[in-house]
Amino acid sequence: MDNISLVLQSLISGISIGCVYGLIGIGFCVIYNASGIVNFAQGAFVMIGGMATSVLMTDFQLPYAAAAIGAIIIAGIVGAAVERLVVRPLWNRNVAIFVMILATLAAQIVIERMAYILVGDQPKTLPPVSDLPPMMLGGVAVNIQSLWILASSLIIIAALNVFFKTSRTGKAMRAVSINAEAAVLQGIPVSRMLTLAFVISAMLGAIAGILLTPTQYTAFNVGVPFAISGFIAAIIGGFGRPLGAFIGGIALGVIQSMAILELGAGFKNVAALSLLLLFLFFRPSGLLGSTR
Amino acid sequence: MTSSPSTTLPEARSAVQTTRLPLATAAVWAVSAAIVGYALIFGGYAATIISFALIYAVFVSGLNVFMGLTAQVSFGQSAFAAIGGYSSAVLTTTYAWPPLAGMSAGLVFSLLAAWAIGFPTLRLKGHYLAMATLAIGLITYEIAVEWESVTQGYLGISGIPPLGIGPFEAVSDRQILVVLSVVVLVIAFAVKRIQHSRLGRSFAAVAGSEEAAATLGINVARTKLVSFLLAAGLASISGSLFVHVVGYVSPEVFGLHMVILAFSMVYIGGLGTVAGPLIGALIVSILPEVFRGMKDSQDLAYGIALILILIYAPKGIAGVAGAFDARRAA
Repeated sequence: MDNISLVLQSLISGISIGCVYGLIGIGFCVIYNASGIVNFAQGAFVMIGGMATSVLMTDFQLPYAAAAIGAIIIAGIVGAAVERLVVRPLWNRNVAIFVMILATLAAQIVIERMAYILVGDQPKTLPPVSDLPPMMLGGVAVNIQSLWILASSLIIIAALNVFFKTSRTGKAMRAVSINAEAAVLQGIPVSRMLTLAFVISAMLGAIAGILLTPTQYTAFNVGVPFAISGFIAAIIGGFGRPLGAFIGGIALGVIQSMAILELGAGFKNVAALSLLLLFLFFRPSGLLGSTR
Repeated sequence: MTSSPSTTLPEARSAVQTTRLPLATAAVWAVSAAIVGYALIFGGYAATIISFALIYAVFVSGLNVFMGLTAQVSFGQSAFAAIGGYSSAVLTTTYAWPPLAGMSAGLVFSLLAAWAIGFPTLRLKGHYLAMATLAIGLITYEIAVEWESVTQGYLGISGIPPLGIGPFEAVSDRQILVVLSVVVLVIAFAVKRIQHSRLGRSFAAVAGSEEAAATLGINVARTKLVSFLLAAGLASISGSLFVHVVGYVSPEVFGLHMVILAFSMVYIGGLGTVAGPLIGALIVSILPEVFRGMKDSQDLAYGIALILILIYAPKGIAGVAGAFDARRAA
């Protein structure tokens, strides 16, 4: 380690990308807790977030905030569609777990291809949220977008926490995740909760995509790698634990950026996947212990 | 409402004792034979498409043993196809080994890798097993990209010699097709034999219930490992066949696309059946050719088709045919 500020800099970028992984991971947890399903179409929502915002801004001349909200709503609708058209029929037939995994992967491909047909294969990007030069903190350049990512993620997690702890619907969703049969007996519309879980999860994915796109780019096929990172985040934290997924996301982001610094960019994915295998083999219940 | 994620279903496949011929299953074989026969007669492009389908049938047969007979799941079989393919490619080009020797070496490497990977991985269940195997497949892909001194990265390895034993080489479309057909038939016969052997019944027992299988004195861990090794071995052979038939290999061949394609084939054909991998591989390979006009929406149509099949025809073609025969016999 020759240059301490370089290390700090990649630490910060690792934390900020880690927050995004965390948001995607929380999306996995929300659906998993409501249903026991792992939704591999999660990456599609990340893609929709960035792509739809970009299209709404350039083709429809909407202001940034309006385009972002529009994109989140579109993702929510697509999330509900995935649940109603793909997951629900299989769920009703009580299929094996890997049939569900395969079906959601197929849904991912379908959404990807629709985006390709609608928007083309050109990568798109978004302007940074605020057009400021990097902030210098004692010789370490901090990208302002990183701060936006960090702040937004913390706000969203706080908001989710309030939703699940205090709102009627949030409490109902938690009841379903603890015991679905008992929830039915309490008069909770369990099937609607599953749809809602997909909508929330899709919106989280879209937000992750919107926050992320200014720092890199987005295209119709960026989804799967992000879904895998989000999944790894969820496993590290303990599957089904939103807070764990967030911590896991940050851990993953930091380890990845250290791997890039030490071994080169090519080993980014190897590092992430090796971390996943380490957890699966030695501590499959993650840092906080999984919910099921 | 959610059962524990300890996987899956296959209804214990009762060996139907029937005096009547299983006509529907025979029809599935006849259709497969007709498709291969067509390619054999007309050669050219059709032969190329069907050759790829047959190579995939080898790969899918392995997946079928692990998923269909033993009810485990692996999204990472592409790893073993990559090991087989790259072993063949490197050994026959850089070291000028004969194809069969390269293929055998690849098989040994794959089995060793599967054995080492199988120990920690096969203890996992459900999503964890799915993800761990997916990770292994993706890591292998990354290694193929990054280990440039051996694999030449994205550039790939070209100039791989055709299949052959000694002076006999399968060079023309038709020769390749004949060799591959024989390989597929031998494997189908072997799978059929395994299915009704002691080993096959222990696969079915593990598939039904691991606890019950253990109670009957079946070594569950070892049974799963054997099934995994069989699947890895077939994947490795298919990887070797691929590089010899195409003459070129690059990491893209063994990406996630391969896994999803193989899963579609095994489901369309019929999970847990002997004819399923073949008919599934043939249909999934031919369909894109039928819909050539709609190039951009090909993957879209294909994704939608897969979802519809999973929902409405989860037993696949050979599965439906088998059920039909069983009803006639009853």
